[in-house]
Amino acid sequence: MTLTNEKAFHINQLNLYYGNKLALDNIDIDIYQKQVTALIGPSGCGKSTFLRTLNRMNDLISNCHVNGKILYNENDIYSSDSDVIDLRRRIGMVFQKPNPFPMSIYDNVAYGLRCQGVKDKAVLQKAVKKALVDAALYEEVKDRLKESALSLSGGQQQRLCIARAIAMSPDVILMDEPTSALDPIATAKIEDLINDLKKDYTIIIVTHNMQQALRVSDYTAFFLLGEIVEYGLTSELFSHPKNPKTEDYITGRFG
Amino acid sequence: MSKNKRRKTYDTLLNGITYFASSISFITLLAILIFIFGKGYKLLNIDLIAENFESQGYVADLYDYARLCNCESDIAFDEGVYYSSKWGIALADQIDLLGKNVIQIIYVNPKSPLFEIRDKGIGNEPIELRDEYHIIRIAFDNYPTALSRYGAENMINYLNANDELREIEFQTKGGGIKGSIITTLYLIALTLIIALPIGIGAAIYLNEYAPNNKFTKFLRSLIETLTGVPSIIYGLMGLAIFVPITTKLTNATGGNIISGAMTLAVILLPVIIRTTEESLKVIPDDYRQASLALGASKTQTTFKVVLPSSVPGILTATLLAIGRIIGESAALVFAIGTSIKDQVSLTGKSTSLAVHIWAMMTDEPANIELSATIAIIIVLIVVILNILIKLISSRYLKRKLGISI
Repeated sequence: MTLTNEKAFHINQLNLYYGNKLALDNIDIDIYQKQVTALIGPSGCGKSTFLRTLNRMNDLISNCHVNGKILYNENDIYSSDSDVIDLRRRIGMVFQKPNPFPMSIYDNVAYGLRCQGVKDKAVLQKAVKKALVDAALYEEVKDRLKESALSLSGGQQQRLCIARAIAMSPDVILMDEPTSALDPIATAKIEDLINDLKKDYTIIIVTHNMQQALRVSDYTAFFLLGEIVEYGLTSELFSHPKNPKTEDYITGRFG
Repeated sequence: MSKNKRRKTYDTLLNGITYFASSISFITLLAILIFIFGKGYKLLNIDLIAENFESQGYVADLYDYARLCNCESDIAFDEGVYYSSKWGIALADQIDLLGKNVIQIIYVNPKSPLFEIRDKGIGNEPIELRDEYHIIRIAFDNYPTALSRYGAENMINYLNANDELREIEFQTKGGGIKGSIITTLYLIALTLIIALPIGIGAAIYLNEYAPNNKFTKFLRSLIETLTGVPSIIYGLMGLAIFVPITTKLTNATGGNIISGAMTLAVILLPVIIRTTEESLKVIPDDYRQASLALGASKTQTTFKVVLPSSVPGILTATLLAIGRIIGESAALVFAIGTSIKDQVSLTGKSTSLAVHIWAMMTDEPANIELSATIAIIIVLIVVILNILIKLISSRYLKRKLGISI
C-alpha cells in the first residue's frame, strides 16, 4: 500500500454547536488524498456531523454553527468568500439510504451536470456512461436508461447514487453509512467499488461496521462524544489501538 | 374472561360506528344521485346542451297575395300530430327544453301560405316559419284567438274554421344551456390559469423558503382562515374590486367572466396553497439533500426535483379546484351576474351552470325538473374531468416516477 502525505483536508480546532449543545469538540485531523478514511464510533458520537461539515451540508440545519478551520486544498471552506455550490460540486456525497431522484436512470446521473448548465447531449451521454461504468452499474442498466431509477434494487440504487456523485468528477466522495440499508451481497459490491474508486478519489466513509472499516479503509478515525479519540492507519488502529477506549470499542465491549 | 368480553363489545361498538358513518355518507350520495336522475332524466337530451337559451319571439301576418293551399301531405304523421290540409301545416303538443307544454310546428308544406309570412314589426321583413318553432297564438278577424294552451288539436280546428288570419305569434326554440356550459368551461380554464401559478408559488414559498418564524405562522393561519370565509363575501369583494377593475381595463360593462374568474381564483387560493403545501411536505428531504450535495442551487432543487415530485399532489389540488369552480354559485351571482346568455365572451355577461340552476329555481314557478337535469350535466362534467385528471396523473407517475397506481 502506498501512502501519500498530500492532504485533502486540514482541519484545525473545529467546534460545532447545535444551538448551545457542543456536537464536535476541538477536532484536529488531516485527511489524505486518494485514500479511504473511515470514521467509526457509536451512534451520536458526531461522525456523521463531522462528515457533513466537509461539504457544508450542516448549513441546512438552522441552529447549527461552526467555528475553527477546515482547509480544503488550502482554502477555508467556511470563509465568507467560499462558494458552497462549487464546493459541493467538488465534494460529492452518498447518503445512508439510497435516494435516487424520481426520474429516469439517465436523468439521475445527468442531473448534476445539467444543473451546471451542461446542455450538449453528446457530452452528457459520454459523462453518464462513464459514471455508470465507473460505478460498476452500466452493464446492469444499459438497456433501461430511460426507466425510472426507483425500479432498481436497493444495491443498484446506491451504486446509482455513487454514479450520480462521480458524474460531477469530484475530488472527494463522502459516504454516510452507504451500506447500512443493504444486504450482504450488495454491500460487498459497494465495498469492491470503493476499492476501485480510491485510485481516483479521496473517500471518507462513515460506518458502523468495524469489519467494513477494516476491509475498505486506509485510515480510521475513532469518534466518541464529539471528540476524535484516536486517528491513524487502519492496520495499526485495529491491531494496536493506543487508547483503551478504542480497544474496548473495536473489540465490541461497548457501542 | 370478562375483560376479554368487554373489549370485544367495545371493539364491535367502535367498528359499528365507523360502518354506520361510512354507510350514511354513501346513502346520502346515492340519494342525491337518485334525486337528480329521477327528476331530471326526462328533460335530458342533446338539444338541451346544444341549444340557445334565449328564444326569439315574432308576430307576423300573411302577405296580401297569400292564398290557402288545400294541399294534402304525402307524409305519414305520427300519432298526436295534427295536420291542416287547408293551411298546409302540422302541429303537435310537445314539452320544450324548460319542461313547459308548447305547440310545436312539425311540418310546413312549401305551398302553404304560412311558409312565407312577414314580420309585423319594423321593416316588414319576410320570415320563414320553420318546423321547430313554437306557436304562441293565432288571431283571426272574426273568430276567437287560438292560444297555445288549448292544445295542438284545437289550434288546427280553429285554423280549419277560418279562411283568413290576422296575425300569428310564434317563437324560436329556447331554453338550452349551451351558453352556460361554455361559460363554465371558460371559468374553469381562466380561474386555473390565474390561481394555479399563484397558489403553487405561494405553497413553494411557504414550504421551501419561508423562515420558521412567527410571521410565517401568522401567514399560514391567515390562509387557513380564508378557507372558512363564506363565498358570498368573496362575491361582494369581486363586485367591489374585480368588476370595476375589469370594466376599466376592458370593454365590459358590468360583471363578466374575467371578474368572475378572478373572484373564483381568490376563493381557490387557500385550497390550492394548502393542498400543494401538503404534497410538498411529504417529499422526502433526501431528495433535497441529494440535489444540494450535487452542487445544485436551492432554486434548481426546488424546481427540478421537488416540484416535479409533487405533481400528483398539485393535480389533486386542481381537481378540488375544478369541483369548487363548478359548484360555486353565491360568489358568482355578484361577480358575474345571473343573466343567462348564449353569446359567450370573456368580457360579456353570462353565467355558469350552477347559477343557471339558481336562475331556474327563482323562476315562477321554480323549475325543479330542469334544475335536476342541469345537475346531472354538472355531475357528468365533474366525473369526466376527474377521470381525465386521474388518467393524466397515473400516466405521469408511471412515465416519470415509475410508480403505477
